[in-house]
Amino acid sequence: MGPWGFVALAYGIVWGTIVVYLYGLKRRYHRAAAELDQLKSTEATAGDEKK
Amino acid sequence: MTRQLQPIHKRKGILGGLALAAVLFSLYWSLAVAPPDAYQGEVQRIMYLHLPSILIAYLSYFLVFVGSGLYLWKREKRDDILAHAAAELGVLFTALTIIEGSIWGRPTWGVWWTWDARLTLTAILLLIYVGYLMLRSLIEDENRAAVAAAVLGIIGFLDIPLIHMSVYWWRTLHQPPSILRPDKLPWENVHPSMLTALTISFVSFLLLYFYLLSLRYRIGEMRQEIIARRLERGA
Repeated sequence: MGPWGFVALAYGIVWGTIVVYLYGLKRRYHRAAAELDQLKSTEATAGDEKK
Repeated sequence: MTRQLQPIHKRKGILGGLALAAVLFSLYWSLAVAPPDAYQGEVQRIMYLHLPSILIAYLSYFLVFVGSGLYLWKREKRDDILAHAAAELGVLFTALTIIEGSIWGRPTWGVWWTWDARLTLTAILLLIYVGYLMLRSLIEDENRAAVAAAVLGIIGFLDIPLIHMSVYWWRTLHQPPSILRPDKLPWENVHPSMLTALTISFVSFLLLYFYLLSLRYRIGEMRQEIIARRLERGA
């Protein structure tokens, strides 16, 4: 492998890993937000029924 | 999306946009503007990834240290959430540092890996914080897990001064600092455009880091709120 090959390998792995991690993080973020929203709406419905 | 989440989302969007612009500018400067090194040639460009990523990892472990200390002192959940989020990012950036170093080591030292003091201590640092994350998932009681992790998070931080001083204390293959040296100013050691590339790269990593940390911290906050609400419903 030539010098640019090593540079491309390092930059590719670093930015590829960061993009994959960011994608996973966004998915976890939206999943948690949806779960929290659902819990809140269930609680609101239960509260209305009690009234 | 709830009304409460909208401003947070907007601020994160601005930070994310800034980080993306900085990363693209840094890639351009590191790969196209900065000159090749007189001795190492083009492979020296890996330094623009290697140095910022280990500095970001150190920053992350410093936040774990601070968050853990505050949690043990005040027992406020937000400090534990910060420590947990920073530990995850610290592991990511340490692993990336080791990979970059390995790729850089092959053409310059002739090996992918060697049991050099600095490399070994960095691998130990990674293992400590992988252990930190595993500990959290293995202990069921959340408060006990947070306390045990906080203790490990503080002890683990002691490895960082050892890593920094290892190149002075032992005969290592890893070179001593060439930019942040006590006897010379940074611009006396490297070409100004190399120093500019390094500064831009560090700023881009920093912006990216705070963007990732803000997302990861918010996930921790939401998970905590979900657990609290579920407990409240169950009670």
